[in-house]
Amino acid sequence: MTLLDIKGLTIDIARDTGPARVVDGIDLAVMEGESLGIVGESGCGKSLTMLSLVGLLPNRIRATGGQALFGGRDLLKLSAKELRKVRGSEIGFIFQDPMTSLNPVIRIGDQIAEALIYQKGLTRAQAKDRAVELLALVGIPAPEERANAWPHELSGGMRQRVMIAMGLAGNPKLLIADEPTTALDVTIQAQIVDLVRELKDRLKMSVVWITHDLALIAGLADRIAVLYAGTVVEDAPVDAIFDRPTHPYTRALLGSLPTLAGAAMERLPSIAGTPPEPGRRPPGCPFAPRCAFALPSCREAVPKLQSVPGNARHKVACPVMLEANV
Amino acid sequence: MTMIDIEDKPSSLWRDAWRRLKRNKLAVAGLAIIAALVIVSVFGPWLSPYDFLSQNLDLRNQPPSSQHWLGTDDLGRDVMSRLIYGARTAFMVAVGVTIIAVLIGVILGAIAGFYGGWFDRFVMWFTDITMSVPQLLLVVVINASLKQPISLWMEARYMETLNPIYRNTQIVDFVLVFGAMALITWPPYARLVRAQVLSVRQRPYVTAARALGLTNRLILTRYVLPNAMGPLIVAVSAGLGTAMVLESAFSFLGVGVTPPTPSWGNMISDGLRVWTNYPHLLAAPAAVLAVVTVAFNFLGDGLNDALNPKGQK
Repeated sequence: MTLLDIKGLTIDIARDTGPARVVDGIDLAVMEGESLGIVGESGCGKSLTMLSLVGLLPNRIRATGGQALFGGRDLLKLSAKELRKVRGSEIGFIFQDPMTSLNPVIRIGDQIAEALIYQKGLTRAQAKDRAVELLALVGIPAPEERANAWPHELSGGMRQRVMIAMGLAGNPKLLIADEPTTALDVTIQAQIVDLVRELKDRLKMSVVWITHDLALIAGLADRIAVLYAGTVVEDAPVDAIFDRPTHPYTRALLGSLPTLAGAAMERLPSIAGTPPEPGRRPPGCPFAPRCAFALPSCREAVPKLQSVPGNARHKVACPVMLEANV
Repeated sequence: MTMIDIEDKPSSLWRDAWRRLKRNKLAVAGLAIIAALVIVSVFGPWLSPYDFLSQNLDLRNQPPSSQHWLGTDDLGRDVMSRLIYGARTAFMVAVGVTIIAVLIGVILGAIAGFYGGWFDRFVMWFTDITMSVPQLLLVVVINASLKQPISLWMEARYMETLNPIYRNTQIVDFVLVFGAMALITWPPYARLVRAQVLSVRQRPYVTAARALGLTNRLILTRYVLPNAMGPLIVAVSAGLGTAMVLESAFSFLGVGVTPPTPSWGNMISDGLRVWTNYPHLLAAPAAVLAVVTVAFNFLGDGLNDALNPKGQK
């Protein structure tokens, strides 16, 4: 069953010189119980795509086209009030920076309880009990005591656990994690990834994990969508991405991952050039200017996502590689 | 996993600020003077050696003596008693005016900064206009145009009800003085709160609160405002001193508290006329006003450093 179905989503930034397109026709689906990894460079539109679903886009940035079907409704057409009810109780969020994502003047237990009181209509006492349960669920030791702690008394990893508890407070069907480990140490990153995977199975929810770290989500995601300059360039099950990366951009991303075997190498390969700025994207394939395999035809038409022969679930937006069948 | 010491004492945020404030000698001195002012204003009637109104025409314009520590004025009233009673006026005006002005400023500034849009433009336009009118002129206009109608209305109510409260001119005074002064002092608070709210509402925890589906009102009152209060506390401390000076200035010009209610401003005004012969009549209230104002500013600076530790060094 499809839980979330995004079709042809476009997002524009209103600039003084006119609108600049950041997200350019994204198609993306999330199945029930699935975990989807969204990978891409900064500014490729991965966070904006997810924020647009629940009406949290920053000022001057608007979803201007497409649909996002969730539970039979188009999220892009809901009123502000209806969206507020979706947030937290149907779609939960975890954000990037746990150090600044908690209100410094409210004890963490109260912060979780507050969300419960407003989402679920619990009484203060019920909400407090539930907050302690949630803290225990995300693996915080001595949750009853910790519920009375102030945010600044906790370490980064602990705070991120608290953020996850808040994201889960409303029992959402979909948890969107927006680079939740970027600000943490490597060892803590692995703990958080394990925690989310475990919670996903236990609470039978879907997870969308936004990151720019392919290696990190290899162990978490069922499927990975690679975004480049506001479009999906490759969308495939996780083993297909690692075993048979097809789009030149995906290949380049994987090529720039450090490996133990490559430790002797002098420099890590990087992708030449920079991604095009919104509003200044070239005609045709957005990756063509940086692509080693680009043909003149790449600069004419925007490539569509097509299935790789032999694997209907592996889709790539690159006719050149598909024809070469590599 | 790191274990963190959980202290059972509340909010170390404020405790830390208090600890830093205590280290600042000037701020502590300011706080002590203000505490003394509060005590004197509350317990004034029991502390003052004479009644502030009782005249002794045999002892006019006396220099300081053992009976009258700060001398007597041109009607033979004890200057020290009047100063003590004036502290009550000054304190009431400062606190009253500041409370009204801060309430107006916080409500308008917070709503304007948080929601933006036409209300924001309207509030900013309104603060600009208010700030562009000369303050003294505005107070004089309010006083001149409202004092008589209010007094007449009060008199009419007295005739109807015979309730002596309507004969109390102090009430008219305070309503007018408080109202007029609040009307000219709220814009800086509104601007400050709006600027703070604009910056705090961009913080990640506000986005996180939105993502939890909390209502705007809850986000504004629990997430944005409490985190925007630091600079306001500093501004209020300095604002209390400013309000006292303003009240004195208006009393000095005759648009403040009406005599015979003592106010440091009208004492300075009276003293100024005779200062070449009786300098103590000017020196005493002027010195007290200066000391108290400086105390408020020291406390304000101290609070500023204590609440923004990053701004130090």
